Amino acid sequence: MNQQRREFLKRAGLAGLAGLGAVAGIIPTFALEKTDPSVFSNRPVPGATRWGMLIDTRKCRDGCDECVAACHRTHNVPDFGDSKNEIKWIWKAPYEKAFPTSSRQFGSRNLDGLEVLTLCNHCAEPPCTKACPTKATFRRWDGIVAMDYHRCIGCRFCMAACPYGSRSFNWLDPRPAIETYSPDYPTRERGVVEKCNFCSERLVKGLQPACVEACRGKAITFGDLNDPESAIRTMLAENETVQRKPELGTLPSVFYII
Amino acid sequence: MLFCGAALAALVTITALRLDGGGAETVPAAGPAAVDSTVCIAPTEYMRSHHMKMLDKWRDEAVREGERTHVTPDGRRFEKSLKTCLGCHSNNRMFCYMCHLYANVKPTCWNCHLSPIEIPPQ
Ligand code: SF4
Ligand code: SF4
Repeated sequence: MNQQRREFLKRAGLAGLAGLGAVAGIIPTFALEKTDPSVFSNRPVPGATRWGMLIDTRKCRDGCDECVAACHRTHNVPDFGDSKNEIKWIWKAPYEKAFPTSSRQFGSRNLDGLEVLTLCNHCAEPPCTKACPTKATFRRWDGIVAMDYHRCIGCRFCMAACPYGSRSFNWLDPRPAIETYSPDYPTRERGVVEKCNFCSERLVKGLQPACVEACRGKAITFGDLNDPESAIRTMLAENETVQRKPELGTLPSVFYII
Repeated sequence: MLFCGAALAALVTITALRLDGGGAETVPAAGPAAVDSTVCIAPTEYMRSHHMKMLDKWRDEAVREGERTHVTPDGRRFEKSLKTCLGCHSNNRMFCYMCHLYANVKPTCWNCHLSPIEIPPQ
């Protein structure tokens, strides 16, 4: 064996030992870190909390999409770059699209060109969960309309049932369309539906939703609709607010100040 | 390392925060846990044969019931999450693959969950 090769093998052996060190837990990897669960509550009481959101369109700045970017980054939402395959959890829509049934006769000038932040309303009477044959989408104990991607068979009944267009379908493998992976949340796979989850993975850690945190204008208030003392309830009591398509009886948990 | 981890975890968890949007069910911030790769949540033999059943059970309880804490018979508490496993086992980035390859099983976990080989070590 020539000397160079011998030297190489010796070094490779050393590197292998370093690898063993990693197995023994000497070298930490923090990318996929585990959470200290001592602060978690036990089985939650169904119905005690109902998470809700209040969006103040007066404070939402024209052309700003920081909340959208933060949400989509946090949740590994793919960007295919075309509207046919588009996946969206939160997005801006023209006022007349977000509130198509509100009266525009002799309407206010302020509404011309107004873009409104839209997302899943986490309806208290969600038609999507009733349409889902596998209970892959369901209303949680805290009012969040959740997706259990493990169960979704991609039938898209829920998309047809949702009157707000809050759901997107993965026609393609989303992984290649994700720029950088956020290690704190999984991706999806081809053939499942996805939508906003009210940041349930952040709420459990005591964090505000990513969009709320990202908004510099503090246009989004998030809180418990069942707690009369909460900031969101106080604001609802003090302001004139609207919901999207209230006449459908879906009881949205997302409110707007126009 | 262990002690550093524990100190770090303690530091992060002390700063309990209230969601300032209000909320009756306010939760204190859950920080990262110390990594102790010398002991698993159950004996190795049991984990080898039953980890898939346990993960299935964890998934349903955490996702659908909101029961997120696993308590071992000797009183240790863990979050019911793949990250609890990978917090230790990602030290060997091929940990899951080696065995699955050998046993010729193709679990679908990594279709969505990010595996240690997809996330560069920090
Ligand atoms: S907005 Fe659509 S997806 Fe969200 S809960 Fe209501 S019906 Fe379901
Ligand atoms: S696409 Fe998935 S979530 Fe929607 S109705 Fe079908 S199984 Fe349920």
